[in-house]
Amino acid sequence: MKLFYCLLLFVTPAVFAQKSIQGKVTDQKGNALPGANVFLKGTYDGGTTDANGVFAFQTSESDTATLAASYVGFEVFEKKVNLKESISAMTIKLEELANELNTVVITAGAFEASDEKRMAMLKPLDIVTTAGAAADITGAMQFLPGAQRVGEQEGLFVRGGSGQETKVVIDGMIVQNPFFSSLPDVQSRGRFNPFMFKGTSFSTGGYSAQYGQALSSVLLLNTTDKISNNGLGISLNLANAGLNYDYSNKNQSVSAVVYYGNLRPLFRLVKQNVEWIHAPEFKGSSLTYRWKPTKNGVLKVYGMYSDSHLSMNSKDPSSDTGKMRLVLKNNNAFTTSTYTDSWAEGRWTLNSGLSYSRNKDNMTWDGVNFDRFDERTQARIVLTRLLTGNNTILLGAEAHAINIGNGVDGTLYKLKDRYAAAFVESEIYITRALAGRIGVRSEYSSVISRANVAPRLSFALKTGRYSQVSLAAGQFYQNPDYRYLYLNKSLKYERADHLILNYQIIKNQRTFRVETFYKNYAQLVREFTGQQYDADPYRFPWGTTNNGGDGYARGFDFFWRDQKSIKNLEYWVTYSYVDSKRLFQQYEQSATPTFISNHNISLITKKWFEKAKTNLSATYAFTSGRPYYNPNNDEFLKDRTPAVHNVSIQASKLQSIKGNLVIFYATVDNILNTRNVFTYRYTPDGQTRYAVGPQSYRSFFVGMQIMLSKKAKVEKDDF
Amino acid sequence: MKKLFTIALLFVFATGIAWAQNEKYTQAMGDGIKALLAIDRSKPDPKTLVDIANRFERIAAAEPKEWLPKYYAAYSNVLLGFVAPTLAEKDQYLDKANALLKDAEGIAGKPNDEIEVLKAYQSQIHLAADPMNRWQADGEKFQGFLQSAKSINAENPRIYYLEGSSLFFTPEEYGGGKKVAKPMLEKAQQKFSAFKPETAIHPDWGKMETEWMLSQTN
Repeated sequence: MKLFYCLLLFVTPAVFAQKSIQGKVTDQKGNALPGANVFLKGTYDGGTTDANGVFAFQTSESDTATLAASYVGFEVFEKKVNLKESISAMTIKLEELANELNTVVITAGAFEASDEKRMAMLKPLDIVTTAGAAADITGAMQFLPGAQRVGEQEGLFVRGGSGQETKVVIDGMIVQNPFFSSLPDVQSRGRFNPFMFKGTSFSTGGYSAQYGQALSSVLLLNTTDKISNNGLGISLNLANAGLNYDYSNKNQSVSAVVYYGNLRPLFRLVKQNVEWIHAPEFKGSSLTYRWKPTKNGVLKVYGMYSDSHLSMNSKDPSSDTGKMRLVLKNNNAFTTSTYTDSWAEGRWTLNSGLSYSRNKDNMTWDGVNFDRFDERTQARIVLTRLLTGNNTILLGAEAHAINIGNGVDGTLYKLKDRYAAAFVESEIYITRALAGRIGVRSEYSSVISRANVAPRLSFALKTGRYSQVSLAAGQFYQNPDYRYLYLNKSLKYERADHLILNYQIIKNQRTFRVETFYKNYAQLVREFTGQQYDADPYRFPWGTTNNGGDGYARGFDFFWRDQKSIKNLEYWVTYSYVDSKRLFQQYEQSATPTFISNHNISLITKKWFEKAKTNLSATYAFTSGRPYYNPNNDEFLKDRTPAVHNVSIQASKLQSIKGNLVIFYATVDNILNTRNVFTYRYTPDGQTRYAVGPQSYRSFFVGMQIMLSKKAKVEKDDF
Repeated sequence: MKKLFTIALLFVFATGIAWAQNEKYTQAMGDGIKALLAIDRSKPDPKTLVDIANRFERIAAAEPKEWLPKYYAAYSNVLLGFVAPTLAEKDQYLDKANALLKDAEGIAGKPNDEIEVLKAYQSQIHLAADPMNRWQADGEKFQGFLQSAKSINAENPRIYYLEGSSLFFTPEEYGGGKKVAKPMLEKAQQKFSAFKPETAIHPDWGKMETEWMLSQTN
């Protein structure tokens, strides 16, 4: 019976001895944390803090217990307490967990469009809804800080770099031919549909050791892992007609696209400055297959093929008629397959890929054959290890086999390059407010039989809750233009050294970012012809060459974006300044290259009209005058073209027709019909000057996209 | 004999404690659910919701073998993800809901339709927080979770309620609307009338909302 009483004694005190526990929960700085959960572990007893961070609750526990406090975004606090007496005026200070607001991110030189990262400056959707970008990825990038617009050539010209100094990378794989075949004085579009990508990162310099062979910039495009619409889509516009079909089940999906395009109808309506003999006609198809074989593994296989045919009379100051008849037939194929996976709760990540691309241009210039051929096979593997405290280390390697051929009137010039690279990079968080990224990349290229080692370094320091400063520096190597290598294989790598300082503040849907840079160019290829400067951009460099060139680029750019002040309206302003001089190519003295414009300004606005289901966007772009070669001026490249102004608008409207979603879109480019001039060329006698301008002045484009989806569930932003 | 008696008594007592503990759990859970139901649906008070979420979390901490406290804590955080004023706060609650759901899944041990349904609900609210940029990824997740819930238990009425509500709030231009939602909501209503929760503290939400939406479709 004794035992019974003992047990009774043991249990009963709990019924009447209530103790109260009282106190306050704050962060490390003493700010009250309302809504924190304070409780005795293993019991139901506890309370929630009020607006002043104060909590109070009763407990029937009487011995020692563990008091715990938890709050979203903070580390759990635990403390042993003695409950013989009530507790009052207890202060609990919680430690904040690492999050996107209190942890620094290395941002110098990077401009991201992403859905997933909150630090991203842009969303993928911005690319297709920007007027003047013509739903072209590189078209949209031209409006970003650090980019210079060069109207008559394709490519991204970044901070004093030429278009060839930027590489386009899809899922880690270099894209050999990101643009449709280059035409004289016509800016070719990118080959890839912006809807293929979930994220875009545009580097304006100081980029990671994971990438190489680009003196100025890399444009990183990441393809989507999943598709969300099952069914058939039809696209119809003034230039082309296409069909796309998507099918997905739980772990696999397939997307197929076929299209046929012909620019003749458009050219009938919009006056062309180019004399077309056969308006561009093209057809193509692509197939994407995605498979999730394991929980985190994703295999993606993408293949595309396209061919095009066109003919034009291009302006040629050196011929008697002033014209040259060009016929171009292009075949292009690109396949890439990537596999990504992660193990051990994300501590190990694998990114690997295999890709092949092949491009063939059959060209005739006034009946003389010029053929271009290139193919690139590449393999890449990157292993990332996540260490404690968010530190990471990655190791990777890539190998490329590149074959290039140029046929000139029956004679074939060939070049073979076997290129390999290895890299290692580590991200280190010294504190949550100070992080560094240290990397090194080593490359070997067989065509010039040379190796290089390029260090890369960046730091970022958090200066406030919403602001940070970052710094990036590094060395970047690129093989000389292949055209030089046909005649001289003893050339060295061209090199650029970058130094970038960045400040940014992102607060309340407003972003301000300013970046200043200094770029040093070394070992640039110089060509010596012993003749007068030849301004023909299509000339073959036949002179003797060496790596005696150099140069610099310096400047700053800023970016302001406001999505908050006016409802459903947002705008961004970009200003880029660059000052650059180079001694390279046929230059006999250091001068500002023809692709440099000192000032680039863009103003972009977008407004969403809820009732009309219409998105309206307007863009104003200003590019200051660029140098051009005037044989009559004793000073080399001293003349400047007039500035380029362009105002464009774009509207897209969503409509439901018999349960199917239809998107109508219309754009007007150069609405003010400004007679822009990109550059001037001279006849060989130096007497007559030709202006090179856009393909057309004011132009418009209309089209529609119909989605015959089984699940007709598309939100407002499906354009 | 005396010894036997003591042992017997001890046995009775021990089960008594166990039973009392169980009742205390059911009681506490019941109170929490009642508090959830008492919330004004048209204007939920975030403070009360935080308090309720904290309550369930305390129960969860004390009852590490029960998945329901984690489930309800997650559910409360999803509701908070809907009512919180800023995107950053919404995401904090929704991330928390995700973590709680992961715990609940671990405790439940086997595929559970209610957890899948709540994951779908979490995706839907996550989408609603920033539809412009999230519809694609979250829409996909939403469908995926509902699909897997269906494969576990196609009779769960909340699957059809969520499908219906998603259509209900999607404008007609994009293939949604009240008219399109009606058949799905009717299906949900039908499933609700046949539905019996396993115990009084098992998930049983969504009926009221279904009926409200249905009343709007006429």
